[in-house]
Amino acid sequence: MRRFFLHAFWMLLAIPAVVSAQSITVKGKVTDESGAPVSSATLQIKKTNNSVVTDASGMFTITAAPGSVLVISAVGYEQREATVTGAALNISVVTDAKALSEVVVTGFGGSQIRRELTGNIARVKAKDIEYLPLASVDQALQGKAAGVFVNAQSGKLGQAVTVRVRGTSSISANSQPLYVLDGTPITTDDQSSYGGDMNPLADLNPNDIESIEVLKDASAGAIYGARAANGVVLITTKRGKAGKTSVTFNVQTGYAEATKRLEMLNSEQYAELILEGAAYRDNLAGTPLNDPNSWTSYVKNDVMDYYSYGEWLKDPKKTYDWQDVVFQRAPYQQADLQIRGGTDRTKFFTSFQHLDQTGTIVGNKLSRSTARLNLDQTVNEWLDLGVSLSLARTWNRRLPDDNAFSNPLQAIALMPMTPFLDPSTGLDAGTPPGDVNIPLYYNPLLTVKYGRFIQDVYRTFGNAFAQVKILPGLTFKTEFGLDYLSQNEENYFRSETVRNQTRAVKGVGANRAAFITNFNSNSYFTYKLNRKIHNLTVTAGMQYQESSSKYNFTEGLDFPSNSYTKIASAATKSGGSSSQSDFRFLSYFARANYTLMDNYILALSGRMDESSRFGKNSRQGIFPAASAGWIITNEKFMSILPVVSFLKLRTSYGIVGNAEIGNFPQLGLFTGDAGYAGNAGQRPSQLSNPDLSWETTTQLDAGLDFGILNNRITGEIDYYEKQTTGLLLSVNIPASTGFNSQVRNVGKLENKGWELVLNTQNLVGKLKWSTNVNLAINRGKVIDIQGQIIEGGVRNMNRVEQGYNVGVFYAPEFAGVDPANGNALFYKNKKLADGTRDRTTTSVYAEADRIVVGDPNPDLIYGFTNNFSYKGFDLSIFFNGVAGNQNNIFGMGRYSSASMLYEDNNTADQLRRWRKPGDVTDIPQVRLFRVNGSQESSRYIVDGAYMRLRNVTFGYTFTGDVLRKLRMEKARIYVSGQNLLTFTKYPYWDPEVNADSFDSNIAKGNDFYTPPQPRTFLVGININL
Amino acid sequence: MKRNHTHIGKILAAICLAGVLTAGCTKRLDIGPYQSISESAALNTEEDVMVTLIGAYDGLQSAAGYGGEIMVLNELIGNSTNIQFTGTFAGLVDAWNGIMVSNNSFATSTWAVAYNCINRANNVLSAIDKVTSSPAKKASVEGEALFLRAAMHFELVRLYAKFVGDGDANANPGVPLVLTPTRGITDADYRPRASVKAVYDQVIADLTKAETQLPSSNGFYATKWAAAAMLARVQLMNKNYTAAGAAANRVIGGSGRTLNTDFKRLWFTFIDNGGSMPTEYLFGIKVTTQDGTNALNTYFGRNVGIPGTAGRSDCKIRPAHIALYSANDKRRYFFLSGGSNYTGKHLDRYGDVPVIRLAEMILTRAECNFRNSTTLGATPLADVNAIRTRAGLTALTVSQLNLAAITRERYLELAFEGHSLPEVKRLQTTLGNFSWNSPKLIMPIPQREMDVNKQLVQNVGY
Repeated sequence: MRRFFLHAFWMLLAIPAVVSAQSITVKGKVTDESGAPVSSATLQIKKTNNSVVTDASGMFTITAAPGSVLVISAVGYEQREATVTGAALNISVVTDAKALSEVVVTGFGGSQIRRELTGNIARVKAKDIEYLPLASVDQALQGKAAGVFVNAQSGKLGQAVTVRVRGTSSISANSQPLYVLDGTPITTDDQSSYGGDMNPLADLNPNDIESIEVLKDASAGAIYGARAANGVVLITTKRGKAGKTSVTFNVQTGYAEATKRLEMLNSEQYAELILEGAAYRDNLAGTPLNDPNSWTSYVKNDVMDYYSYGEWLKDPKKTYDWQDVVFQRAPYQQADLQIRGGTDRTKFFTSFQHLDQTGTIVGNKLSRSTARLNLDQTVNEWLDLGVSLSLARTWNRRLPDDNAFSNPLQAIALMPMTPFLDPSTGLDAGTPPGDVNIPLYYNPLLTVKYGRFIQDVYRTFGNAFAQVKILPGLTFKTEFGLDYLSQNEENYFRSETVRNQTRAVKGVGANRAAFITNFNSNSYFTYKLNRKIHNLTVTAGMQYQESSSKYNFTEGLDFPSNSYTKIASAATKSGGSSSQSDFRFLSYFARANYTLMDNYILALSGRMDESSRFGKNSRQGIFPAASAGWIITNEKFMSILPVVSFLKLRTSYGIVGNAEIGNFPQLGLFTGDAGYAGNAGQRPSQLSNPDLSWETTTQLDAGLDFGILNNRITGEIDYYEKQTTGLLLSVNIPASTGFNSQVRNVGKLENKGWELVLNTQNLVGKLKWSTNVNLAINRGKVIDIQGQIIEGGVRNMNRVEQGYNVGVFYAPEFAGVDPANGNALFYKNKKLADGTRDRTTTSVYAEADRIVVGDPNPDLIYGFTNNFSYKGFDLSIFFNGVAGNQNNIFGMGRYSSASMLYEDNNTADQLRRWRKPGDVTDIPQVRLFRVNGSQESSRYIVDGAYMRLRNVTFGYTFTGDVLRKLRMEKARIYVSGQNLLTFTKYPYWDPEVNADSFDSNIAKGNDFYTPPQPRTFLVGININL
Repeated sequence: MKRNHTHIGKILAAICLAGVLTAGCTKRLDIGPYQSISESAALNTEEDVMVTLIGAYDGLQSAAGYGGEIMVLNELIGNSTNIQFTGTFAGLVDAWNGIMVSNNSFATSTWAVAYNCINRANNVLSAIDKVTSSPAKKASVEGEALFLRAAMHFELVRLYAKFVGDGDANANPGVPLVLTPTRGITDADYRPRASVKAVYDQVIADLTKAETQLPSSNGFYATKWAAAAMLARVQLMNKNYTAAGAAANRVIGGSGRTLNTDFKRLWFTFIDNGGSMPTEYLFGIKVTTQDGTNALNTYFGRNVGIPGTAGRSDCKIRPAHIALYSANDKRRYFFLSGGSNYTGKHLDRYGDVPVIRLAEMILTRAECNFRNSTTLGATPLADVNAIRTRAGLTALTVSQLNLAAITRERYLELAFEGHSLPEVKRLQTTLGNFSWNSPKLIMPIPQREMDVNKQLVQNVGY
């Protein structure tokens, strides 16, 4: 077999080049603007077939007649010509800024010039993401890559981000894309035990990144097989360049604050509403209002007077906006140092970063220090070695999850008459020795002051490779990658927090460690054949990945005093555990790209995956894809349309999978966590399914790439259809079985959509103005879930319904308020015999059927950036937005926009409540502790569309003699603002929301006292030595 | 050609390297979970069965089960006139207001937790033959599992179905009866509701067998007396006063348990008793700092300044309730004031959850003897006065003794322990605006179950 391949290779290579006589030998070097050598540049003698390629040091030797013209082309550089004048010829080339010329990384060592790309890959460059106040790289994709939906969930630092590539293509399995850093699939799953999901991507310094490629269609993704259905994000870090060593120092500082405050009731308004609700109850029960057993007496004495430390009776106007103590102006500092250089044989890139970020919500803080060294060494003419090493420490003082009384934003529920401080002690309300049962709910500031939860992560990304040139055109590369995540979580809650941490009578502390080792190896052959007519690149190899997650945990109670916070001092060791979970993948892959006469392009790729995650009966999967492209502008007939400088039609079709189905979903299991009163126990924990396998997504993509006016306007239009079958569903089963759900491969869904990318160079003179626009329309639809019930989110209002997008909101439909009596009304919506629904209304909630009342998935996502430059000035304005989606505010709405059902403070709009017969309003009558309209319904499903001025950066670059005297090459000062403006109809803090407590693959768009995004203002200076 | 040999060498080296990397990889995919074991390896030995039984108690202990929410629901629905609920769990507010809807979250979780416990108990029963060390041990394990299964079926049928004495118990739908462990999901797992009568019959059969098999003492696990006491409770609901009285009498006479002399010492089991369960508890749920939740504490409790007290302060006790106790009743002073009144029974964060106390059996025997005009074990008067004396009250005389006096004593003694709703139904009293048989006093079959199991019929009014 091996022999056969060898013969095949030889045959392909047996086309010798012809060298003409009367020529001289010309030697020289090709360099770029910075003087760095350009390797793999092709020099072709014009009007002949003779060509040579530069080596790693940019050197070439060619035999050519004096006076002949060389055409120099190199990927990523503008093509140029040079005339042979003598035996020495040094040529410099300039980087091609046009989008069609950019080089796109395709995975496993591959790269393609966008002009020749047949798959759909979105690319985000270093320049687009550098020095933004974003903790993690996934946020940098927001609004920058067509068809990639990014939702930051909340304003908490270092938290998980929802990323969807071309819609949600799964229901119960994870729909986040696969992230591959310099060839290694990295750990991106949440590892935290407190608060919402954290974001392991926060351990990566975004400024180390050279480019991010998002593989969107099946053709691009198939090489990642069973893991590509959600898209693949390839992250490539910067590497060294031969030439002068460049030192860049950047420091930026500023502050952040929450993007919005809510208008809440003041003390007088609160009293008015709650007394109205109490009087309603008293009248209903026939109790005189002044009766000591009346609701009115209760509200006056046991509520407003009690919870205001008696202040309310003295001064009913005194009011406290608890948002004042919850939000803070938060400093932000970041310093970066990057050094990049090297020689022909040795190249290096090294970087250091320190980031200090304070949250806009009290108690939240994040700092990160990173260092990286990327080193490449050419050993000899056939061997290259390289190593990348990134060390990071991310320290995060975290906030509790949204659905916790200690979530600072839940302070908004506290009564406006409750003072911030207990007048008897001068300490925060609720601090002992004062009355710990005031305020109404736990004062979250006590956790900020007397508790802490620290997450400390050390992360190592390492990668080493060897690349061997076996034959001209044939290379073998093997690389080992390691992603090691070592996380310690340590918390201590002092006795002052006991109302919330009820076990903290004498303090409660816990310590948890997570060690995630993720080892990967790739080994593959690449064969390149470059001929005048045929261009062929073939890659084939294997990948093995092994990931192991180990956790241990200890918890202690009863500390000698608050000075002791380690569990060594705890009298009671109240908890302890250790656990482990592993997964493994073994894969073989191949890819071939073939170009005929620069006009016709064909690509084939495929992968075979085996995984420990799949059931015994279905362990192997094969994922093939094919794509083709036709560069129409290379055809002669296109010369009649000179305005069109580039036109390419491309299409792709293929099959990819989603293996993010958990580690052992196929097994019938018992779990030994069911101890009772100190004795160990086990319980049946999972029903078996030996046939379980990955989800399969077939995707068709058809696209048109175009360039107009000598490519000053370029763009892409894509249409795609993704069909996902064998959906892995966590299917509801009767709870009378003892189980709530079973995982099964059933069901189908689809995503169809359009994507448009447009890059224009509007002005190219001294004043430069360019615009990048991307927008994507996606329609997701669940085709078939075999009648299963799948739900999640706040009060299980997110649901999977056939014929609708994944996770639509399902609830009765609110019909307003009965003007006659203040009753909340609901549409009955019973299905009638003729298929229509009964549109009569009822005040009896149970009579109203649930229907689909909203969709958290946007129909349209877009981003647009305008870049201006004039002399030394530069200005960038970036907007992004989503449209066609709804959010669910029931989480907080049922308490705080609820016609004062409970004693919680309410939003100011509740003043519009129904008061007397004839009132026409949308806020039902206030009825204390008797629900009237604040049940789950469309009343709490609101428009979630927004357009946000995401970033504005304005800078000035100094160059010239003064700087040179200071030994600087360049210095740029800039000011930058993040999240400056938000255009939205959303009633709560932030439409870009997803409550961490309820987040799941299908539960999106929920707001539950969720902190808003920060608005950040920065000034920075960037010095280049 | 020499050069070509070098190439071949390099190719060979690369292929060898790739080969080394690939070797054995496929085998490496055969890995399993660490904290879990295959179900086929889970029930093969006596030890396996024993730990599964512990797991069944763990299920019973869930907050939504005997961790306390079953009792909380019975109080909030059945004692709404004496409790002022000011919490924000909509499911509980609606239960207390008598306006539950079918997706009530507490209805959903209690249903699921009860059946989860039943499945665990059925797993024990399915492998009972593996218990071979002694016949006594086998009998005991089987008895415990039957007790747990019966207790949960009984709580379900009381909460989710019409009262056994309301209409035709043979026709009224009860709840699904589950008597086998679940391994896979087939059509048989989509069970209809068995009749109320069928559920009662199964519960009585399970408890009767459990009583015969269980030992007299078994730590804080189920004993013969726990089974008999539960049987007494079932038969009292069933209005079989002879069987109920006899079962209660077997408990009182056979268990050797006595009333705690100090009513206060029945509570604060963790703060005062260091976690040991009072002997008056015939069955209770252990709560430790490592394990378990006392949901009665969660909703009825409050931090009253005593270290170890905690709670959401959700259930305020109306002054009208406190007025029901006589001035010299020790239980009258078992309420704490802090703006509003709170019961002193459930303040302890780690307090054990009382499920059945001996006092209940004494009052059951008194009532049954009174109704049957018998004196099995003791006279009704002596039994009632035993409870009254402990509360610091004067003894009743024969002429003062009537059914109302017995049930009133029962109400005051067992207040806020989860007896209120069954008492309203059993004694057919009126609860605010609701009559004893109002559909509003029956929990809905959870919407989740209705959605997924077409065999189920919903209760009236949902």
